[in-house]
Amino acid sequence: MLESRIRDLLLAARKEALNRGLNAEFSLHRERSNLIRLGNSSVALSTYEELTRLDVSVQDGRKVGSYGLTADITSEGQLLEALERAAENCSAALPKDYDPIFAQVEEAIDDSSGFDPELESLSAEAKTALCKQVVDGLKPKGKYDFSGSWSSGSAEMYMTSTANENEAYRHLTDSRFVMVLKEQDKKWELSVERTAKALGAFSAEDVVAEFATLLPVYEGNQPYATETGRLRVLFGPQAIAQLLSLALWGGFFGRTWEEKRSYTAGNKPGDKLFSELVTIVDDPSHPDVFGMPFDFNGLRRRPFTVVERGVFKALLYDSMAAAKYKKRPTGHDLSNTDFVLSPGTGEPGIAGGLDAAGDALYIPHLHYIHMPDPTKGLFTGSSRFNAIRVQGGRFTQPMVSTRVTDTSPSVFSNITTMSSRSVSQNESNTYGRREPEAMSVPEWMLCDNVRITDVADSF
Amino acid sequence: MIAADKVASDVASHFDRMKSEGCSFADARLYDEDSSQRLVLYDGNLESNTSSIERGLGVRVLKDGAWGFAATADLAAVAACFDRALSNARAAAHLPGFPKDMGLPQPTTGSYRSPVQKDPFEVPLAEKLAFLKGIDATLEDKTIAQRIVWAAFQRRKIIYWNTEGTEVDRWVSNVFATMMAMAPDKDGRTHRRSVELHGDGTGTRGWEWLTEPKWFSGHADRIKSELAEVLAADPLPPGRRDLIILPGQGFLQVHETIGHALELDRILGYELSYAGGSHVRPEMIGKLRYGSEKLNCRAGKHQNSPGTFGFDDEGTPQRDYMLIDGGVLVNVLSSRTDLGEANELAGREVFTESGSAARATSFYRTPIDRMTNISIDPGNDGTLDDIIAATEDGIIVDVPVSWSIGSNREHFHFGTEIAWEVRDGKKTRVHKNPTYQGHTLEFWRSLDMVGDQSTWCLQQVANCGKGEPNQVMQLGHGVPVLRFKNVQTGEKE
Ligand SMILES: [Zn+2]
Repeated sequence: MLESRIRDLLLAARKEALNRGLNAEFSLHRERSNLIRLGNSSVALSTYEELTRLDVSVQDGRKVGSYGLTADITSEGQLLEALERAAENCSAALPKDYDPIFAQVEEAIDDSSGFDPELESLSAEAKTALCKQVVDGLKPKGKYDFSGSWSSGSAEMYMTSTANENEAYRHLTDSRFVMVLKEQDKKWELSVERTAKALGAFSAEDVVAEFATLLPVYEGNQPYATETGRLRVLFGPQAIAQLLSLALWGGFFGRTWEEKRSYTAGNKPGDKLFSELVTIVDDPSHPDVFGMPFDFNGLRRRPFTVVERGVFKALLYDSMAAAKYKKRPTGHDLSNTDFVLSPGTGEPGIAGGLDAAGDALYIPHLHYIHMPDPTKGLFTGSSRFNAIRVQGGRFTQPMVSTRVTDTSPSVFSNITTMSSRSVSQNESNTYGRREPEAMSVPEWMLCDNVRITDVADSF
Repeated sequence: MIAADKVASDVASHFDRMKSEGCSFADARLYDEDSSQRLVLYDGNLESNTSSIERGLGVRVLKDGAWGFAATADLAAVAACFDRALSNARAAAHLPGFPKDMGLPQPTTGSYRSPVQKDPFEVPLAEKLAFLKGIDATLEDKTIAQRIVWAAFQRRKIIYWNTEGTEVDRWVSNVFATMMAMAPDKDGRTHRRSVELHGDGTGTRGWEWLTEPKWFSGHADRIKSELAEVLAADPLPPGRRDLIILPGQGFLQVHETIGHALELDRILGYELSYAGGSHVRPEMIGKLRYGSEKLNCRAGKHQNSPGTFGFDDEGTPQRDYMLIDGGVLVNVLSSRTDLGEANELAGREVFTESGSAARATSFYRTPIDRMTNISIDPGNDGTLDDIIAATEDGIIVDVPVSWSIGSNREHFHFGTEIAWEVRDGKKTRVHKNPTYQGHTLEFWRSLDMVGDQSTWCLQQVANCGKGEPNQVMQLGHGVPVLRFKNVQTGEKE
């Protein structure tokens, strides 16, 4: 549970809110983050941040106001001031035309199962040493530059409200390692990623070995610029996660569905949307994801099926959309979800994907993917690292940057087979706070008739 | 609360300590106040009503050619913050590369205040909400399915010190606002039309700017009627045609295919694993024909813009300089630290001074190379009407809906809210679902008309993302109306 020094202050503030007759919710986020940034085969920067953020919301009937504070929390006075500011914002607010749902911690949660003190204290020296091993292992073999980053640290998330006595607390560690190898003259880029919840999940030898499997294709063959048109594509984990994110965002959010702005707007639960190979569950209990046990409306998060064997099962409602459209919130007042695309029956390993593919484009990464038209699920994005032409079940030529412009329903209906083995794909960002997020996806997904719309003249 | 004066004296003593530890440079940024407020009306409901404040210190030390950074919100722990930054620099130096170097010392003292008449943080919340509600009421109509009106305010009081004796204090204020109307067409596809708070680069940037109808609220009726035209329109048929870009779209074209491509850290490969690289290489400076001779692009210092901040986060006074001159690439966006590396790669001295583009988004993020005001100079090809009159077969596009750009910024695909067909010198009808795509250099080389000052507009960007850990930055783009020849538009299927 949260350090008692801060917890006691929060509980005192909750009591003060009750004494004043305020409906107040308190959430606290604390992180310790270290990141090393690799550029041109050197560690050019190492950073450390230790930050505490407090968010307070006050609700009075149909009016809501919030206040946030990023500071070291040392006194009850700070909390009472934050409460006062939130109350002022609430007091001046415009009332909504619906009854907002007030946060209530459904059940007490105290979950430190994802916390590894050794990963939290992983030093910048140790990270630099592993990167050096990779660089030393590969640099002599070609004209290569290495860049990348390695972020690791811990996050604590806590919430309580005046609705009841319950408190919800999560403490976890995470690590994301990305290394990019760039050929200095030919300019192609390869990447290797690792996601971990605990120390020791990977080694420099693993990383070197993964680069080494890709290097001969890139070193020994001319770049390939494909024809445009509808082609067979073997997607890899990062691309699958990107496609899954867009499919969810464009199709399964309650608010956009209610407002008829999603590509599923003409559908209802029970309709067949995708290939029957497709099952999508937000499953905090899955071992590949970070598993957020509660959301910031206080709901206990449980496995939640969105699509089952291609059939539309349910929509995601945060508390705001649920209140407005008179639905039940589904535990999605958070940004760090835990989506799982169930694996298929294909042979595990990339060799299984290549065998199944025969002739195809292998696109493991999609860069800068965006939806010009969510009502059709139309997306566009371009290939990036590790993209290779597949001929006769073998990797043959590195691909130049290739644009895919298709629709989510089309791609997820045109899946022919997927690997039976899943991998954890890190989807975290650190724009605001450390909120680790990963998806579980099959390690490969073969799709026919994927629309390729443009090919660049470089990688 | 620990006062800024106390932090200043602590920092000074730790600067001495860092020098005695062998650091060649150290700096510190105190965010004495970093306030923000975000108000969002969605269909008239106040869905975000949040204010927040951050306060803390960020410290960088440079030792043996490597950077260490640490940040803390605990201003009683300044010593520990310096210790952590130093140990990070020592760790980084275990895998050395081209040594980071600040060049010659540039001690500076100064201050900067964003030009503001009425500080938005002094305006009562109820007054702000009444203003936004008034715009929402104008947008409300039985033909409009969803309405969004939002405004965001920032006020930052930042004090910067470094071991060269530099001391700079800044109060930076920003105001952003957007209104948007959405509605479905007869096929159920949702379209939107929107406008953001914009300007002409002059004047002040407080509450008075937001409430000047010309720059924001006065556009509500226009976007409503243009949305109605989009809803009744046919989709844009695919084909190659001339493309006239209004500033509401031009700013993003500049942002994605010039601005990001010219950030020196991207050019040198320091952003490869996340944001991406650049098709530009240091040896191309002074040689690369980036665009037609009509293209003049600068890192500007417009009086009223979020890309104007007086001094960057290394204390360098903000400069106004050309990036692309008569179509030729002449400079990039840089900070002090990588100029030596870039010059060595170029094989000659292409950079002599910092581009004053070292920017950090908060006390807990380190400065990186960012856009400031990346602007296209007005040209000599007249007004928008003149450009339309000179166009046989083209479209005019405005305001991004989607954007997707190659990782080295070498190619792009944009969708926009609206397109007007131009036939034989006249605006004829509206098209929906407009998109266009191209390859960066080929595209900018096809620029053949640049509108005059009457077409030039300062657009704000509230949320440019880059860096690891991630940073959201605010900046500006001043852009005139631009015409490009023979561009691939529309979707083939
Ligand atoms: Zn950007």
